Amino acid sequence: MRIQISQELLDRQLVDRDGRLIGKVDDVEFALDADGVPYLRSLLSGPGALGQRVGGRLGRMLVLTAERFVTDRPMAPLRIPYALVERVDSAVWLRVRADELPTSPVEQWLRRHVIDRIPGAHRASG
Amino acid sequence: MRKLLAATLGILSAVGGFVDIGDLVAAGQAGARFGMGHTWVLLLGVVAICAYAEMAGRIAAVTGRAVFDLVRERLGARMALLNLVASYLVTVITLAAELGGVALALRLATGVPYLLWVPVAGIAVWLVLWRMRFPVMERVFGLAGLALVVFAVALFWLPTDWAALGRGAVTPGDSGQGWGAYWFVAVALFASTVSPYEVFFFSSGGVEERWSATDLADARFGVLVGFPIGGFLALSLIATATVVLRPAGLSVDGLDQVAQPVVLAFGSAGLAVAALAFFAVTFGAALETGLSAAYAAAQYFGWQWGKRVSPHEAARFHTVLLVSVLLGVLILLTTVDPVTLTEYMLIISAVALPLIYLPILVVANDRTYLGDRVNGRALNLLGAVLLLVILAASIVAVPLAIGTRMGQ
Repeated sequence: MRIQISQELLDRQLVDRDGRLIGKVDDVEFALDADGVPYLRSLLSGPGALGQRVGGRLGRMLVLTAERFVTDRPMAPLRIPYALVERVDSAVWLRVRADELPTSPVEQWLRRHVIDRIPGAHRASG
Repeated sequence: MRKLLAATLGILSAVGGFVDIGDLVAAGQAGARFGMGHTWVLLLGVVAICAYAEMAGRIAAVTGRAVFDLVRERLGARMALLNLVASYLVTVITLAAELGGVALALRLATGVPYLLWVPVAGIAVWLVLWRMRFPVMERVFGLAGLALVVFAVALFWLPTDWAALGRGAVTPGDSGQGWGAYWFVAVALFASTVSPYEVFFFSSGGVEERWSATDLADARFGVLVGFPIGGFLALSLIATATVVLRPAGLSVDGLDQVAQPVVLAFGSAGLAVAALAFFAVTFGAALETGLSAAYAAAQYFGWQWGKRVSPHEAARFHTVLLVSVLLGVLILLTTVDPVTLTEYMLIISAVALPLIYLPILVVANDRTYLGDRVNGRALNLLGAVLLLVILAASIVAVPLAIGTRMGQ
């Protein structure tokens, strides 16, 4: 499959098998295969990866804000092996379900310390 | 029958999304100071919001992606982040102004001081966002907002000189207040008609209700009927202010003056209906601006958003929602005057307009997203002309605000 990474992959929405939103393709990672040919190894998602791509003071502020919510720094981005990608259209669709991937540490922190403490946090209002 | 019901509901949502505190203040001030001289601005604004909401709705229906999602893909991570920061600030200040409007409407209805209502309004808005089914509340507030029609009725009840109103609409003048002030009010009125949150909200709503290409006709119908109805209601606000406030030399520095013509025509019953309408439109707009602020952030970062999943599953989205409402309340608790806040909000909205409208026009022409549902030639011409108007409003907004000392 031929794909233009900057045009068709970067900044696209990552969606799981059931349509849940996982994050954006904040960066990509290449590797070399046994013959020394580069290939697209994984998609990276998370404020750490995004902050580096945004760069400058704005990017650093973004990373620092996100890092307030985690204990192990620097923040590792979510790494999704490219083999898990099912198809790419206006979004990047994965073969797996969201709960098979690690949850974002910021999301976890906010769940535990803010949202789950409010009554009714587990019911969808439609 | 079912189709008719669906169409009516679409229209109600559009009406609810159109009129808000910005329209109440800007339309009241325009009428009280310049008579019908800004009618053309309102018409232009209605055409602009119809054209761009149609594009945003079509993009949402065909691609399943909302506006800010695509803003990032089109502008790149860095530019879109700057855009997000600006859009978020504008939307939260708008949310504060709408909450102020809710509190002013409650004061109008009860006489209890305005500042006491501010936290109540904030908590009520947050509770509805946390718990209620969204399409239901959107329609309830849209329907209650139609009570604004009492202003049009008052116009017939009062001894209105229709010929003079008509003449005023086609021959705008500065009414001895200076053309600087005229254009300042024009920019504010235009910004109130095409507020950025309306398109965020409209396209996100489309994604959330899972519009597909087959729902396109309904969505288009809702826009093309609902927004003009909203425009008609805003026009009747300008007209009643022209007839009642302008001859008396009254200026609009609160919602009491905006309601004055209806009180004159129908007494305390009129006041009750006007207060209900003000409450409905500002409360509805507070919900929409709160959601829009959180939509923009979630769609930029790719977080799970929306009201179909539980707050637990969309913790970042709901945290931004909560923080936005809190910020809105805090802004008002600085005891800033809500009408002054609305005026400033309209000027910074005007500055930020191109940030949202340019990417919509670009994506609506992108075949990789829309296939053969891209804009036609006529709509592109209209969109480009309107974008020039939007750019002009954005460029002159701050110089006008400073040069006229906020329209003095």
